[in-house]
Amino acid sequence: MYKKLYIKILLTFLLVFFSGTSITHENISHNIDIASGDKCVEPTDIMRAQHHIFLNKQSHDTVVDGIRTKKYSLNNCINCHIQPSADGTYPSVKSEEHFCSGCHIKAAAQVECFDCHASKPFNNVKIEEEISKK
Amino acid sequence: MKNLIRYKSIELDRKVFYPISIVFILLSMCFYAFVTLEHEGHWLTGMNNQIVWGIPHVFAIFLIVAASGILNIASISSVFGVSIYKPLSRLSGLLAIGLLVGGLMVLVLDLGRPDRLIVAMTTFNFKSIFAWNIFLYTGFLFIVVIYLWMMFEGRYNKFVQQVGMFAYAWRIILTTGTGSIFGFLVAKEAYDSAILAPLFIAMSLLFGTAIFIQAIYYIKTTFDVNTEEIIFKRLKKLMLYFILAVFYFTILYHLTNLYATTHHDYEFFLLFEGNIYTYLFWIGQILIGTLLPLYLVSSKKFYNCWNTLLLSSLLVIIGGFVQLYVIIISGQAFPLDIFPGYIESSSFGDGEVAKYIPSIYEFMLGFGGIAIALAIFVLGILSLEFIPDSLDDERLQS
Amino acid sequence: MKKYEIKLDRRNFLKNSVSVGLVTIAPGVFLQEIAHGRSLDEPASDKIRWGMLIDTNQCTEDCDACVTACNEEHGIEDFGRPTTDTQWIRKLNLTNEFTGKKYSLPIMCQHCENPPCVDVCPTGASFKRADGIVLVNKHTCIGCRYCMMSCPYKARSFVHENLENQLPHAPRGKGCVESCNLCVHKIDNGENNTACAEACVKDGHQAILFGDLNDPKSEISKQLSEFGAKEIRSDLGLNTAVRYRGI
Repeated sequence: MYKKLYIKILLTFLLVFFSGTSITHENISHNIDIASGDKCVEPTDIMRAQHHIFLNKQSHDTVVDGIRTKKYSLNNCINCHIQPSADGTYPSVKSEEHFCSGCHIKAAAQVECFDCHASKPFNNVKIEEEISKK
Repeated sequence: MKNLIRYKSIELDRKVFYPISIVFILLSMCFYAFVTLEHEGHWLTGMNNQIVWGIPHVFAIFLIVAASGILNIASISSVFGVSIYKPLSRLSGLLAIGLLVGGLMVLVLDLGRPDRLIVAMTTFNFKSIFAWNIFLYTGFLFIVVIYLWMMFEGRYNKFVQQVGMFAYAWRIILTTGTGSIFGFLVAKEAYDSAILAPLFIAMSLLFGTAIFIQAIYYIKTTFDVNTEEIIFKRLKKLMLYFILAVFYFTILYHLTNLYATTHHDYEFFLLFEGNIYTYLFWIGQILIGTLLPLYLVSSKKFYNCWNTLLLSSLLVIIGGFVQLYVIIISGQAFPLDIFPGYIESSSFGDGEVAKYIPSIYEFMLGFGGIAIALAIFVLGILSLEFIPDSLDDERLQS
Repeated sequence: MKKYEIKLDRRNFLKNSVSVGLVTIAPGVFLQEIAHGRSLDEPASDKIRWGMLIDTNQCTEDCDACVTACNEEHGIEDFGRPTTDTQWIRKLNLTNEFTGKKYSLPIMCQHCENPPCVDVCPTGASFKRADGIVLVNKHTCIGCRYCMMSCPYKARSFVHENLENQLPHAPRGKGCVESCNLCVHKIDNGENNTACAEACVKDGHQAILFGDLNDPKSEISKQLSEFGAKEIRSDLGLNTAVRYRGI
């Protein structure tokens, strides 16, 4: 007796749930703004698809083995990609001006990194030096 | 002789309105509490760096322990062949699933990072009893589902005994695992004892039976199931045995601790100091949770009275909550003895009995567990035939 | 003819006084175990076992330089809620019940060889690194707080509130459990010392000594073999890396 109702509810649910998946990687503009140095540690298309893989591996290597190479280090990414605005303040990670949040908010793929990690650089780092170490 | 017991499911009518509305209210409270704690953090609760597990865990462990014990009714019929309980096995299985899911939900919602549930279910450290418990609890759900399937499907009824025995063994291991969460902790004076495992097994049998009595009474009166004397008498006897079992393990636990001088600090704190835990223990656990129900189920004055059995099972449930509260909270509130023979003080509460004032959020989370258990129960009896249409004597003797 | 002439001209006077001066300062400098640092891509090895020796004779009740240094190093904020605020290191004031003598000492994660917190963690987030440091992998921690129940030293803290402005070398966040990690970020970067030990020396007390327990030539090993030290709650058989002297 309730079968028709169940089917209607199920179809509505599926429709609503899957309607958001029209965003592909290509649609999102990346707003890359590397102020110093001219390129990232990996080519853009590889970074786009695999940055989480690099970060995951690095997180394991750093925490468990104490390996702190700079290439895939999150702090190194932040030192380069997060640049202050004209008045010297850094964008909040909750806003789309932040390099990571710019895409992650649009794609509604929440990252938990910045629950714990600093979302802005604290020290003056010689960025050219880091990139040239690749 | 053919099995004459028929089962029925209930209609979606006004009678179900009351439990469903209770579920809705409690679940909304739980949802609100969970969202608030997720956003603000645990500083809103009464839990802190000394009392790390609080009211939500009391609720969760009560529900999980009761879930294991409530399946005992089905086990008595399948494993021990007491056919009188056979018509009640299906309900026993359904309630076991409901209570366990409710308890697990409260545990998960209280985690510091519940978004990492997937991590908890895929990354394991097998030296941890907690990790084993994750398998034991989810496995239990799976086994009870199979158990129910064997009961429902006529052609598989012949497997009920084997699956029942497997479920029985699994229950014992599961409840041992739950008791061992505390029993394996060397750091705290109140824990670090193997006796906590059998104590928890006895508690599971007691709480499960008490909740089952409440459920049976509700079904009997709401859905017109003609229940005869023998069920009432057997359930009363079970309550008597299980109250005595819990009492025995409690006495043994405290007696052993009182004997060992090294445990005196904690025991005297709990039993004689006159703080909140002393009152909870003597009045809540012993008087209300043990002695009074014991009197009610064994006295000849109340021989035939359903109401007395109901009252004693309610007192047992209250006493059970208090007992778990005393075990979980007082064990943590009592300060660690880092330097035996020294008086300690620090900025981190060393040497002091920690204060615990539960917040409303913790109760709301706990209520959510009860709501889920009730919801599963109601959904079950609505959709499938769990309720026996009659429990009168002639049919039960067959 | 062996005759030692003391040449008291200016050159020799300067040479001698400078070398005497250096020899005087040197123990203070080398006490900080500036051994060869590990390179960034080298994993931690079990050839090293990091540990600490705390000399309670040097510790005074009114000093908490180590606590302040640790809080500053890791960006630990004071929210005014002492029961829920994080404390990685704390000063413990003791009075012997029998003799009445008073002691003051810092206590933190003892970095046991057989840590109960590692045993009980369901996901394995609480783990012991190859070089003996016991820490929480906050990527895997689900915040169940079981490790906090199991620690005999109350070393662990749970982060009860949202944190902002974390320091890049000390990621910490709400919902995870944390404790003293022997300044692992400094060790991995080659500065083989902890913030608390450095602050103690700077404050003039030298109560905290950090070093490699596996190296018999390290200052900590030498002091341990000369003066001995105690393990707190040694009855539990945890074989801690932090040892205490003078109690």
